[in-house]
Amino acid sequence: MSETDTQPRQDSGTEQSLTTQGESTERIDPSWRDYDFAGEAKLAVEDLNVHYGDDHALKDVSMEIPEESVTALIGPSGCGKSTFLRCLNRMNDRVKSASIDGSVRLDGEEIYQDGTDLVELRKQVGMVFQAPNPFPKSIRDNISYGPRKHGDIDTGLLARLTGRDDTDEEAALVERALRQAALWDEVSDRLDDNALGLSGGQQQRLCIARCLAVDPEVILMDEPASALDPIATSKIEDLIEELAEEYTVVVVTHNMQQAARISDQTAVFLTGGRLVEYDDTEKIFENPESQRVEDYISGKFG
Amino acid sequence: MAGATETSVVRENTSTYEAIAALTVGLAAVLFFLGLAATVEIVSITGSLAGLPTLTALGLLLVVMGVAVGGFGLLSYRGLFPTDPDVSVGIVAAALFSALWALLGFLVGAEALGLGLAGGVVGGLLIGAVAFATTAFPREDVGSTLPAAALAVFFGLVFLLGVVGTEWSWSPANFPDSQSVTFFARSVAPFAVMLSSLVVGWAAAKAYGGFGARGRHLGAYLLVYLNAVAIISILVALVAFVVFKGIGPVAEGVEVGLGVGPATTVSLFGFSYDVVWPVYWPFLMNGASLFTDITGVFPAIVGTAWLVIGAVVLAVPLGVGAAVFLTEYAERGRFTAIVEVATNALWSTPSIVFGLFGAAFLVPRFTPQPQKSLLAGMITLGFMLLPLVVITAREAMIAVPDEYRDASAALGVSKWQTIRSVVLPAAMPGVVTGVILGVGRIAGETAPLLLTMGGGSFVGAGQRAKVLDSFQLSLSPPFVTNPELTQATTALPYQLYQVVLTGTGETAGVTDITAFGWGTALVLLAVVLAFYAVGIATRQYFRSKLSYE
Repeated sequence: MSETDTQPRQDSGTEQSLTTQGESTERIDPSWRDYDFAGEAKLAVEDLNVHYGDDHALKDVSMEIPEESVTALIGPSGCGKSTFLRCLNRMNDRVKSASIDGSVRLDGEEIYQDGTDLVELRKQVGMVFQAPNPFPKSIRDNISYGPRKHGDIDTGLLARLTGRDDTDEEAALVERALRQAALWDEVSDRLDDNALGLSGGQQQRLCIARCLAVDPEVILMDEPASALDPIATSKIEDLIEELAEEYTVVVVTHNMQQAARISDQTAVFLTGGRLVEYDDTEKIFENPESQRVEDYISGKFG
Repeated sequence: MAGATETSVVRENTSTYEAIAALTVGLAAVLFFLGLAATVEIVSITGSLAGLPTLTALGLLLVVMGVAVGGFGLLSYRGLFPTDPDVSVGIVAAALFSALWALLGFLVGAEALGLGLAGGVVGGLLIGAVAFATTAFPREDVGSTLPAAALAVFFGLVFLLGVVGTEWSWSPANFPDSQSVTFFARSVAPFAVMLSSLVVGWAAAKAYGGFGARGRHLGAYLLVYLNAVAIISILVALVAFVVFKGIGPVAEGVEVGLGVGPATTVSLFGFSYDVVWPVYWPFLMNGASLFTDITGVFPAIVGTAWLVIGAVVLAVPLGVGAAVFLTEYAERGRFTAIVEVATNALWSTPSIVFGLFGAAFLVPRFTPQPQKSLLAGMITLGFMLLPLVVITAREAMIAVPDEYRDASAALGVSKWQTIRSVVLPAAMPGVVTGVILGVGRIAGETAPLLLTMGGGSFVGAGQRAKVLDSFQLSLSPPFVTNPELTQATTALPYQLYQVVLTGTGETAGVTDITAFGWGTALVLLAVVLAFYAVGIATRQYFRSKLSYE
């Protein structure tokens, strides 16, 4: 025990110095780069760098995310995992000081290029935020908001006059999304109530349903359960596992138990904006390659 | 030294003491409101109160209160009351008391005793110094009660001994023109009563709390509470006064029943329909005419309504649009800062400046000959309303959480659609609040109308602004014309000003011009309140859509 206690400290010391020296592009632990997952890659990220002003938030991150699975991003605060997540649907474009270079391909198609249709991209890559943020509208309107704005559903006066009334389609869509988000049974009798009247956990599932309503292929979740109590959290976790059968889910979390419970593969970001290790979740939690990752996971630092 | 030994959390044996202190606080409050009532002459200074002449009764109450509060302080100091006073009442209270007493000393020395300026200054400084010493140096219970008690006893004796009687007046000789300023008992006495009851009430409230931290809290609470109530009473008194003066002429000759009212021909673009009102309200439905029994202000109501509608229609879309640009699109920086300062400055620009702008810029533009017109008035008032709409709409939009914008963007919804469907609905109650405030201001605005809209002091019902009836379609540009908009008309505040200024109304069949003016004022108040009500209902509607029960 005492041996393993001293060993990592030395190791992490050398690693630390490596990263602080290392504005170099030298890779820390190259072995996991050959991480070979079963199935197709949905998202492929290559040499992604993000700067917020002078702050180099994300350094040379490369990874491939397999489809129809849950990928967890873990790491201490400020390690760049949320930044990484927000790059996957270009939400970082909304931050004025952010500059992004590198490559992100969705189904082989580069999303960081001129002519990317942000509307189409974000329809395919949906996002759920840390704090539940339903619109101050009815539950129904929250769900149908996206499809309505994209012109997939129209129940307006003009639509009715011209003979196109999507009321039935809307009802079907709302029910489908709410069922997928495991919320239907709780709210089916009050779809016209304001969404702000729901509990925190219900609101978060509503946000997931709202995201599902536009039929995404990838769902990005930024600590979706961190503002919720344990019961609501376990509901969200069950939901994430179910969603992975149909969707590609990428979830940022602070909670390592959560990552271990729900994810198929885990990427560990450590301070400095580097991706340190990326592998099957089991491997990461039981036998990581990097000493620093082991220290982090066993709670010795971070 | 009761305070020094008293360490228990629950203070014991306080019931009698607290009952007397509470009674004194209540008495101070009663006296304060008596003073307030005397200021607005609900209680007459020359009349009587509870069987005694008013001034004698007030003086007696003041002396009783003063003695009670002073007694508290001394008994507490002797340790007969279970209080917990601080070492001193503090420098602020001491400064205020010494300033108050120095002023009194100066006035008494210089004027009442006739010692002149030098005597007054010496007397003032002397008494001020004594008051400061009495307040600052003894323990808190004495320091806060004695100067207050002395003030009440002083004023009480002044009234009791008839030094200031009902016929008392004082013209300060030192003013350049000795006739220029005169104080009468009817204004000085209520003020003195209110002042001393506030001060004594504060001291009594402190005594009730046993001085110390709890006493300070209660003293401050009493002052804040009495101030708030006084402000509300003044507002209520103001409205009540207008209603009281104006209800006579406004309610004159009102009849209710089928077919008693005038017939209105509603016509729009050539279609017309006759409506007979089931109520006849002459003041609201008549214009000025020698042939009607009662002259009314109907044209002015119509004018004011159109002015407000026109200004709102002009200012709200422009202002909200500007606010959308500033909050959602423009980069935060020098430009938005300048715009912000400019809109704030524009909002505080005097209305007569807007009026002059309208007179110089708008009046010559709509007709061959420069002519004051309803349209010029609408646009001028719209410009006045604009900055407030921009300011409040901007603040309302800034207050919309960014989470909504993020959520919308993450669903792939464009910026403009997000603004329209999420940001604007969430900001709507704030925008409406701004419009309500602005309408309250412009509806009562007189100065700009003097220069841009004109009209007469008495306008016949037939000359009202028939805006809806007067739209005319034509096949050549501008396709829709409305001659009424380019006519001068009248509005309530403008008419009120004209009526009071000219002071004569025989030509229009008005005998009591003052009553007519009060009636107009009441109607103006009601019209403004009606716009408020509409605004508040609108705001409630938008709020109910955002919130949950």
